[in-house]
Amino acid sequence: MSDGLSVELAHYLSVSGIIFGIGIAVALSKRNAIAVLMGIELMLNAVNLAFIAFARLGGNFEAAGGDPLAGHVFVVFVLTVAAAEAAVALALAVLVYRRRETVDLDRITLMRW
Amino acid sequence: MLNRLPIPAQFDRIIVVGATIAVLGALPIAAVLIALLLLDELTAPEVVFWAVAALIVAGALGTVLLPNIVHAAVSLVATLLGVAGIYLLLGSEFLALVQLLVYGGGVTILLLFGLMLTRAADDPVIADGAQKPFAFGVAALIGGIFVAAVLDANWSQTDAAAIGIRDIGQRLFRDYGVPFEIASLVLLVALIGAIAIARSDQPEPEAAEAEEVTT
Repeated sequence: MSDGLSVELAHYLSVSGIIFGIGIAVALSKRNAIAVLMGIELMLNAVNLAFIAFARLGGNFEAAGGDPLAGHVFVVFVLTVAAAEAAVALALAVLVYRRRETVDLDRITLMRW
Repeated sequence: MLNRLPIPAQFDRIIVVGATIAVLGALPIAAVLIALLLLDELTAPEVVFWAVAALIVAGALGTVLLPNIVHAAVSLVATLLGVAGIYLLLGSEFLALVQLLVYGGGVTILLLFGLMLTRAADDPVIADGAQKPFAFGVAALIGGIFVAAVLDANWSQTDAAAIGIRDIGQRLFRDYGVPFEIASLVLLVALIGAIAIARSDQPEPEAAEAEEVTT
């Protein structure tokens, strides 16, 4: 093959970093509570991507006592907690909508003094 | 009630228009990638990586830039499926399947249900907050620092062996048995908590009768 770029660890981590940045932008800029939740899901996916990239391509960490299987297992736990978080957060959003007829975060000022 | 839900007419329109835009945007990228593949500039895994990376970033940008919240949710699905593609590329078939099931199926449906239950279809556009420039600045700062640091570092990459489903299962249930059980407990608590939170305060007549029967 030519001396073109091969896909390296840095490429995967760059994609992960870009998704994480966009996730922060979504979570901070949107006013809809469910859109903020989407941003959090994006950030969690970025973290998972970094975990898997290191587990597969960070082979030189293995010599230092690293364990690629631990990365996979951690991703499974992150997925579990993310699903639980999504369920509870959406239940909260539905409850807030029922009480206050909106999920606009700028209008949910119950705890502002 | 039923005619408030954005199916099927609105979803059909979203899918058709969105798919048209996505195909129009993807065609040049696919053409360039296939040309490079035929010219032996790129290997097949690289072509797959760049295509999937373009899908992921485009979906994420759609999530942040599309004003309509339902469109943003559908755009998010593209990102989640693209991440599953990256998992496949990295040789983690199990996690790719879990990603498809949990995110492509579960979380997406939850998000769309949440949008429908909060009547997002009636007024899908809630403008971004006044903190939008600040949010974009913070995102660019953190993302930029992360990407710059990653590209600057010297990783001296070596490939670890691809990991099979059997190895993950053994590790998960033998060495990480206790965290696994705690995770299942977390799921149980979240399930009960979500039901307890979202339950309406006034029990419906049938539910009240059922409670009387049990007591």
